[in-house]
Amino acid sequence: MGDRLLDIKDLHVGFRVFEGNLRVLNGVQLDVKQGERVGLVGETGCGKTTTVKSILRVLPMPPAQITGGRIMYRERDILEMSRGAMTALRRHELTAVFQDPLQSLNPVFTIGTQLRDIVKDSAIGRGKRLTRRAVEARCIQALRETGMPDPERIMTNYPVQLSGGMRQRICIAEALSTNANLMLADEPTTNLDVTIQDQILRKLDQLVEDKGASVVMITHSMGVVRDMTQRVNIMYAGNIVETGPTRKLLKNPKHPYTQGLMASVPKLTGEGVSDGIAGRIPNYLEPPSGCRFHPRCPYQMSACSDEAPPFFDITDAHKVACYLYGGEK
Amino acid sequence: MSAMSILALEELVKHFPTKRGVVRAVDGISLDIAAGDTLGLVGESGSGKTTTAQCVVGIYPPTSGRIVFEGVPIGMAFKQRSKELKRKIRIVFQDPGSSLNPKRTIKQILSVPLQVHGIGTRQDRLNLMNHLLEMVELPPADYLHKHPQAIGGGEKQMVAIARALATNPRFIVLDEPTSALDVSVQGKIINVLIRLREELGLTYLFITHDLSLMRNVATRVAIMYLGKLCEVARTAAFFRSPLHPYTRMLLSSIPVVTDEEEVLKPKKIVSQGEIPSPVDVPPGCSFHLRCPERLPICSEVDPEMTAHEDGRVVRCHLFNGSERAC
Repeated sequence: MGDRLLDIKDLHVGFRVFEGNLRVLNGVQLDVKQGERVGLVGETGCGKTTTVKSILRVLPMPPAQITGGRIMYRERDILEMSRGAMTALRRHELTAVFQDPLQSLNPVFTIGTQLRDIVKDSAIGRGKRLTRRAVEARCIQALRETGMPDPERIMTNYPVQLSGGMRQRICIAEALSTNANLMLADEPTTNLDVTIQDQILRKLDQLVEDKGASVVMITHSMGVVRDMTQRVNIMYAGNIVETGPTRKLLKNPKHPYTQGLMASVPKLTGEGVSDGIAGRIPNYLEPPSGCRFHPRCPYQMSACSDEAPPFFDITDAHKVACYLYGGEK
Repeated sequence: MSAMSILALEELVKHFPTKRGVVRAVDGISLDIAAGDTLGLVGESGSGKTTTAQCVVGIYPPTSGRIVFEGVPIGMAFKQRSKELKRKIRIVFQDPGSSLNPKRTIKQILSVPLQVHGIGTRQDRLNLMNHLLEMVELPPADYLHKHPQAIGGGEKQMVAIARALATNPRFIVLDEPTSALDVSVQGKIINVLIRLREELGLTYLFITHDLSLMRNVATRVAIMYLGKLCEVARTAAFFRSPLHPYTRMLLSSIPVVTDEEEVLKPKKIVSQGEIPSPVDVPPGCSFHLRCPERLPICSEVDPEMTAHEDGRVVRCHLFNGSERAC
């Protein structure tokens, strides 16, 4: 398909540590079309953030090493880009919001200083030099767009003077001030209260809509994904195990892992919660052979430990990497 | 206070004087918890739910108001509490990674409360520890000699629960016991907690910010905002017809995962503003700045708790006195 904005093919990423080689990402497949919102869901330690960092190429190497695969952005391989080209890409095209705004904001500079730098730098990247007044105006506008009260005062504040929700709004303002095309949102609301989360998500939703950007939403919350995305990818231990249209997939999960996950989410209907999934995420030093989920899987078969399952089609868009669905084909 | 009640808070207040003013963490809450109940105390960060719990356990003596446990006032400082009382009220903290000593084995961790309270002989204690681990579904042979770092987050929390059970308590305060854990691990812990409540006849004060979880665990739910209660009701009634505007805002903000739940959510209330600092609490009703249905009176007079049918209590001018339909 030609309209693919981002296309990750068979990405393998490992980390060299004292004990050996951690094989974390094990053939991640992910694609994002122009203007689409895609979710990436998984539990702690499944490789969501490693995937994002590989896309931005901000993984510390070493210890990290990309051992295989390609990350195509508009038909160009991010992994083979020169440093200059990568910087340009980060300036204009990619942007990211991370989980902890205190870590992405510098505590010793005011919000204004940090926001101005981003606006100026991104303009220079486009070959334009903005006047001081234009920079100021654009910063204030970016803050106002995120629903921040009194942007002029906020510009003179330091990050510690703001609440968690405000800080995250600033990160979103920074991320969107550059008119980027693809936004990587890595658990943007995980640390926030539900009412604030709701505000931030709605704002993000609206801004992304206005600017026509594409989004990769990384989260562990099924509810957030259902609200925010059109398509979802379920990740387990460095693999995408299921992918499909968000609402359909959540209504009718196929992979045993997704089913287990959905059953353990407490629901407002109050029918109780399931016991969850026995066991825990594998050790990446020696991940299980074949399907990485098979030691925890209630339906495991002999084939599961031999070879990792390919994607089987449930419908056109809904695909599942599990041998349970291989029979029909 | 009803005859069934095991714990009652009466106008509990806890203020912390600081350089920048008095932090009104808990500002007059009254609650009754019946034996065998699970009271879900829900609120945003900074609403004072943990401070309330810590007052109950005795970590802070209250500034004013009374805490009554099994008919006896227990508002004294921790040091003055009897051993018997400390045996009966126990707490499980949020992050088992920091509430379990990393240098000790699980056996050592579990033996501390037994030694402190002088329970059993040496051999009895060993049997008891085995039994405790079995109760939380951890095979003792595999876990007794491990250090906390060698086991997963969910299992650590199970050990913390076993430690709380060691003294055969009557009442356990659960301070966000699953919010540091993944959902697939949370389910197991919740189900163990529910089973233990039935088997041992425990009463829980369950603190959380997750309303969907409360729907499945609590028998009663209390919503806290800026050190005060907004609404207290039995779980089913609470979720069927939430009254207080803040409760409805909270409920309508929950991201849900199925269509069936979508139907249960109240009509969308657009969430606005943030919880103010407990140092300068707004005058009148502390929620009025964010309330979409505020009346002129709200900024002047703090509403009283008023009782409604099914033992529901609401603190809002909209439902004050007159039987106003919502």
